[in-house]
Amino acid sequence: MKKTTGLIIGAVTLGLLSAFTNAADWGNLSGQFVYDGQPPTPPLAKITKDKECCGKFNVIDESLIVNAESKGIQNIILYLYPETSRSRSRSHSKKTVKIPIHPSYRETANAEVKLDNYKCRFDPHVSLLRTTQTLVLGNADPIGHNTKIDTFKNDPINYTIASGGSLKHQFPNAERMPSRVSCSIHPWMIGWLLIRDNPYMAVTDKDGKFEIKNLPVGSWQFMFWHEKAGYVDQVTLGGAKQEWKKGRAMITIKAGDNHLGVIKVGPSVFEE
Amino acid sequence: MGMGGQFVCCNVGKCFTLVLGVCLLGCDSRPPVFHPNLVYMRHQKLAGNLADFEKPAIKQQVDDIERLVTLLFGTSDAPRLPGSRQLDWSTFLDIVKLRQAAGPIDGAGAAARSGLFRRYCARCHGVAGDGAGPMAPFLDPYPHDFRRGIFKFKSTPSTIPPTGQDLHAVIDRGIPGTGMPSFKQLAPARRDALVQYVSYLSIRGLFERELITIVALELDEGERLVPWRLQEQNPDRFEEELEPWLDVADQIARKWMDADAQVTPVPAPDVDWESPVNVARGRQLFFSTLTNCAECHGNTALGDGQTDDYDEWAKELDPTNLRALRDYRALGALPPRKVRPRDLREGVFRGGDELDSQFRHIKNGIAGTTMPSIAVELCDADIWSLVAYVRRLPKDPMNHE
Repeated sequence: MKKTTGLIIGAVTLGLLSAFTNAADWGNLSGQFVYDGQPPTPPLAKITKDKECCGKFNVIDESLIVNAESKGIQNIILYLYPETSRSRSRSHSKKTVKIPIHPSYRETANAEVKLDNYKCRFDPHVSLLRTTQTLVLGNADPIGHNTKIDTFKNDPINYTIASGGSLKHQFPNAERMPSRVSCSIHPWMIGWLLIRDNPYMAVTDKDGKFEIKNLPVGSWQFMFWHEKAGYVDQVTLGGAKQEWKKGRAMITIKAGDNHLGVIKVGPSVFEE
Repeated sequence: MGMGGQFVCCNVGKCFTLVLGVCLLGCDSRPPVFHPNLVYMRHQKLAGNLADFEKPAIKQQVDDIERLVTLLFGTSDAPRLPGSRQLDWSTFLDIVKLRQAAGPIDGAGAAARSGLFRRYCARCHGVAGDGAGPMAPFLDPYPHDFRRGIFKFKSTPSTIPPTGQDLHAVIDRGIPGTGMPSFKQLAPARRDALVQYVSYLSIRGLFERELITIVALELDEGERLVPWRLQEQNPDRFEEELEPWLDVADQIARKWMDADAQVTPVPAPDVDWESPVNVARGRQLFFSTLTNCAECHGNTALGDGQTDDYDEWAKELDPTNLRALRDYRALGALPPRKVRPRDLREGVFRGGDELDSQFRHIKNGIAGTTMPSIAVELCDADIWSLVAYVRRLPKDPMNHE
């Protein structure tokens, strides 16, 4: 009897597993953010400290990077954002959103994510981290840095990192918004770190392109954020103007590729 | 009665003329109530600009936040503690003492029944502990804003709240080199009431901030925080709806209750820790990339290194964004000032000159400021060498080479 039950449970589990790994249940989301105007030239950062070292790297102000040729907007952060007040309310607790995670993300679940102080900037400028992963802060510069990360749901950190030094840190809780990374000694050094408890996040590349692979099919809320714009809330998609209130948009993920195409963002979104 | 009226009858003689000066310039006419943290609402873009505050949907959310905070924490005249079933707040905060600290000034000396905070603290720190009392614009550094729950001079690591003893130490000692005087002349029980009230204002402020964050980041415009209509229609259901919010408050309070267990231990220094060799070691560390001390405190240690950054309170005002800054100023924020690293040759230590606190301030960094923690890079003996060097600095000749 026991054996039969075990077999049945096994069969059901297998069935469920295969259901989740079935190609029909997962879709990729991609697109390209393009600046709807004359691409601005990023100014040089104001180097106020350690000029003899940092002055030679031509560090730029990275708060808005638009590619001069493709007009792509770099460093827009987008991520699955199922957070609602309902997920908090007791009377709706059964509706709490559980996000299926595609098995392909397992191998990176415990990976180390590097964030370096390099040439007097944060490299990369935007880092994406899962709560199960470990952040490795490094300093490859000949000068000392400190790395301050202003998290909300996790204890914020602020450590000095000696030249050539490194340290590891884990953030156990998901953050709702990207956290600011800064160096108090060199105030022009700004970076961003998004910490989530699922892998569904991306940052646009130098051409403004992004892709999030293997999302569960269905209708999901996404957040679109950029350090200069804050919420990316006014866009033109397929020629039609759209308002993404507080940077949020509902997107239906179908099996296979979901290409949003070119998403234009006007200069006014980046002015406050 | 406005706050101005109360200040005229303040009993600390030396600030009387200053207060009068303030009143001539335009006395703070805000009524003595807890004002909503509009600056943080603007910062979190609950309102994207000043006009948004006039939108009915956003007005309602602002009201919801304040109503929920008041339901759990009471008012500036009648404080209250959240009635959580999961956590007994009375083991940490004594409502009798909170009432003695809160409310209008009533009775002097030992006969005082209420109003300790308004008598001794509010003229600088503001009734809500927002650091924006009527005296605040004239003080440098500004009075402390308690509502973030961040305290600089304490025995715990920078992310942990202060212990009650830490707050006592500040009230007893004052903060040398700032406008914060010592209140040692007050009876211990009254100082204790003030310590408790500062903790209460901090937890209340943190709870309000958390609600603002949730409304800004999780709710749609116009979405309600709590179904208030149930309060009368179905009190049991309403209680249920409140539970998640009580959890939020409990989580904040638990951190404060656990602070005593998180105090950074201070190992005894070696007998020769102040020897010339150790002072020289401290000096070497001071200029090394292991500590980066000289980067901010300057090569001369006069505090003239990196002076181009802001502390956490000023950063919240997005000081480089002039348009946002105008909004914050209109909402009552004081103009942001840049951080000035301490001039270590003055020999005035704001956190006190006890060895233990100096050791901890170097090891843990100073919360809310640009001073980072050094714990990862240095062993305890090295930290003692730095303490020895820093204590030696006021007597040290300026040019070594």
